[in-house]
Amino acid sequence: MEETVVAMEEMGVDVVAAERESQTIEMSAKGVSVWFGKRKILENVNMDFPKKTVTALIGPSGCGKSTFIRTLNRLHELIPGAALAGEILYEGQDIYRQDVDPVHIRLAIGMVFQKPNPFPSMTIRGNVLSGLKLSGMKRPDHDALVEQTLTSAGLWKEVKDRLNAPAGDLSGGQQQRLVIARALAVNPHVLLMDEPCSALDPASTLRIEETIRELSKDITIIIVTHNMQQAVRVSDYTAFFLAEENQPGYVVEQGLTTEIFGNPRDQRTLDYVNGRFG
Amino acid sequence: MSIETPMRDLGKGKKANAGDRIFNRTITGAAFTSLIILAGITVFLGAKAGPVLQEQGLSFLTETMWDPLGVPPEFGIAGMLYGSLLLAVIALVISVPVSLFLAVFMVFMAPPKVSKILTNLVDLMAAIPSVIIGLWAFYVLVPPAQEWQQLLNQYLGWIPLFQNESGNFTGTPFIGGVVLAIMMVPIVTSITAEVLKRTPPELVNAAESLGCSMFTMLRYVALPFGRGGIVGGVMLGLGRALGETIAVFFVLKLVFDINFYKIIESGGGSIATLIVSKFGETNGEYEVNVLLASGFFLFLMTLVVNAIANLIVARTDRLKS
Amino acid sequence: MTILMSESPPVLEKDLEPLRPWSKRPASFWLAAFLGSVVPLAILGALYLTTDLAVALLLIAFYLPMQLIGAGLAGYFAKGKHGIADSAIIVFAIGATALSAIILGSMLLTIIVRGIAAFRPSFIIQNSTYISPSTPLEYGGIGHAILGTFLIVGIATIISVPFGIATAVYVTEVRGRAVPYVRFFVQAMSGVPSVVAGLFVLTVFILTGVLNTSAMAAAIAYAILMLPTIARTAEEVLRLVPEELRTGALALGSTRARVVLNVVVPAARTGIITAILLGIARVVGETAPLLLTALKNDQTVLNPFTDPISALPTFIFDNVAQPYPDAVTRAWGAALALLIIVGVLFTITRFISARKPRR
Repeated sequence: MEETVVAMEEMGVDVVAAERESQTIEMSAKGVSVWFGKRKILENVNMDFPKKTVTALIGPSGCGKSTFIRTLNRLHELIPGAALAGEILYEGQDIYRQDVDPVHIRLAIGMVFQKPNPFPSMTIRGNVLSGLKLSGMKRPDHDALVEQTLTSAGLWKEVKDRLNAPAGDLSGGQQQRLVIARALAVNPHVLLMDEPCSALDPASTLRIEETIRELSKDITIIIVTHNMQQAVRVSDYTAFFLAEENQPGYVVEQGLTTEIFGNPRDQRTLDYVNGRFG
Repeated sequence: MSIETPMRDLGKGKKANAGDRIFNRTITGAAFTSLIILAGITVFLGAKAGPVLQEQGLSFLTETMWDPLGVPPEFGIAGMLYGSLLLAVIALVISVPVSLFLAVFMVFMAPPKVSKILTNLVDLMAAIPSVIIGLWAFYVLVPPAQEWQQLLNQYLGWIPLFQNESGNFTGTPFIGGVVLAIMMVPIVTSITAEVLKRTPPELVNAAESLGCSMFTMLRYVALPFGRGGIVGGVMLGLGRALGETIAVFFVLKLVFDINFYKIIESGGGSIATLIVSKFGETNGEYEVNVLLASGFFLFLMTLVVNAIANLIVARTDRLKS
Repeated sequence: MTILMSESPPVLEKDLEPLRPWSKRPASFWLAAFLGSVVPLAILGALYLTTDLAVALLLIAFYLPMQLIGAGLAGYFAKGKHGIADSAIIVFAIGATALSAIILGSMLLTIIVRGIAAFRPSFIIQNSTYISPSTPLEYGGIGHAILGTFLIVGIATIISVPFGIATAVYVTEVRGRAVPYVRFFVQAMSGVPSVVAGLFVLTVFILTGVLNTSAMAAAIAYAILMLPTIARTAEEVLRLVPEELRTGALALGSTRARVVLNVVVPAARTGIITAILLGIARVVGETAPLLLTALKNDQTVLNPFTDPISALPTFIFDNVAQPYPDAVTRAWGAALALLIIVGVLFTITRFISARKPRR
């Protein structure tokens, strides 16, 4: 793992071909450009996500981070007019190949959204297990699964006595952790998080960040955040996106989080992480 | 910056699994029920109307007679077609001002609580079945309405519209129109109120900051903004009025001659009512077919009115957004 | 210095009262409003007592012009020139509201008062076998018609609900290319007159011998009338389901079908119930289709395929114009029963839609 990192740093972003084949890379984006209708949103993004690490995507609003993260589990294509070039590789396979069922991709690559979105018609327990019901996946021992995923999401202690209460009764922070537990219940290998804390209070944010650190022992996490401190606290790697006025977004710099924040190579990165714009 | 990789078409690349394909097809199929039924009505009633038109010729639409036992039997529904339109126009003239003012009161004048109660009452009025309205009209509305018509004739009899030679004021197009108006008021009111409620507050604020009065605000802001929706709502109510059967059945005396304009003279026509009143006493299959043909023309008439209404509503919706 | 100031709030002689200076009107306004509203009424009352002119004539020819002048003067004193037009609008608006309220009140009152005269246990339970229009009220009832209405509406609901909801799901969830056309056809179908729906069933099912005149035939006609109501209301409530729920479910690896069946439809459950109830309320009093497809029957019919059947609307229809007062009272009684059914449906839908969906 350390070697990969060193290699990435030394060779820069475009020369990661050797590592892509390596077992340590979970996902990678190769020359990804994205359109909505005629408008180009993202330009030529190349990025690797090593296994069991946290990668933070940072950058000002409108630079295409959220669009990018949605291409990683094929939610992007749900928006009318969406188009894409390049490849997203998951375990070495292009997820946009014609014969790939997006349902399988989304099962392996879970997602947590900006706004907590538990299913209002279901209980807390029902929400955790909803992924199984919705995808038709079979997993044994639901009770243990509920406890395990809620514990992983850091919610178990708070809700263990009211698993059959409606999910709508929980606070925003609890709902977001419930949604994380829901995503974990289908046993994903990658978890995408699109600004998971932007709608939450500081205390809930800290709980979620602890949860992310815990989870990264087992799965790969990719998180979009506007919060610099959060990126520093939770991530191993950071990619900085930027878009000029009416131009597609692109990656300015990527690498170890400590490098991006401590010793960035690009002046714009330095300005951004020090809060001078964006 | 780099060599462009070709854009991938996600629409075609979207591979639905088998379950979703079946689901999509089932739903899509079911969604076309309305089309199938509309086509079915056109085809089946049209198939009955065709031979009738062929035998009776154009006189079926231009003449006024009902002679099922004649040799050959002769039918002409001009009086009914015209009568349906006349009733609808009377209903329109009465219900539109009432609905407009009621909606204005609900949206711009009444306190919120009163407005809410009125909304509920209007919806309740819309929910009352037409057979009940007919029953009420027959026993409660008709007696005073006869008196009103006598007054109209007494004071305004010099206007051709209010002529009455027979002295009989029962079963007139006027009463039929009033009953239809009562049925149209809730429909038109709720649509109009809905439209007026959507007047952009910034426009109202702008008008108020310019020192407008209620009248000028309605005249220059709310009504121009809502005009399309209101006209559409009136047309929808009109479509309902054209097709209404039972309430009119109780209060209108059907006569086959065209009653052109004497709206307080006994006797008028209505296709929908004709069908119900003749159906129980038909002389053989041919007369049933004639009724089906009449229904076909009623269907076409309401279809046209509704299509126009929907086009108006859709066009104004598009202009707004 | 600043610290001192912030520590000592201004001392007031007495507590401040919240004031609404904008709601104060000058005394002249109240005088004008009083004169504008009471004087015309007083003159109306005096004319009514002293002359024998008809009430309608008094209202239209005397009261309305006087009220307009009175209100116009009041408006002029209160707001100046543009107050005149405003006061005319107010007079007409209140007039229209009062007129509609009087009509609705008269309908409800007459039906309740006259209908109660017929109501007794036997009236609700018994059927009308061997009952002629001149039979006293003690005998016979509308039990068969109530059952008939429930049977026909029940079957119609079973037929129309799947199609109506599928249409809504197509528009909001499947979002196929034909959405504008499907919506157009649903709109057009909502304008089909009830008598035409009856004629359609008559032509396709009864004249061809596929069905007897029966509850089934009537239910098909009812279903045709219910379908657009259910489809349009269900479409509106499905539209209210937040997009995040759909994306969230898809991100969990759900198929489209499961998103609809397990997430979207349950989230809109109460709204869909409302849609169904509105569909039922739309047809429950429809008479014309029944006259063409179900005819009438004085006996209780439970088999929806074999026999003609009476329902409440047809029962009312048959008894309205009878020359026997007891028959007419039966019609009012049946109208009350129908009104109660409509009222219950109406109240439930209001109750459901008044509750805010939990987020």
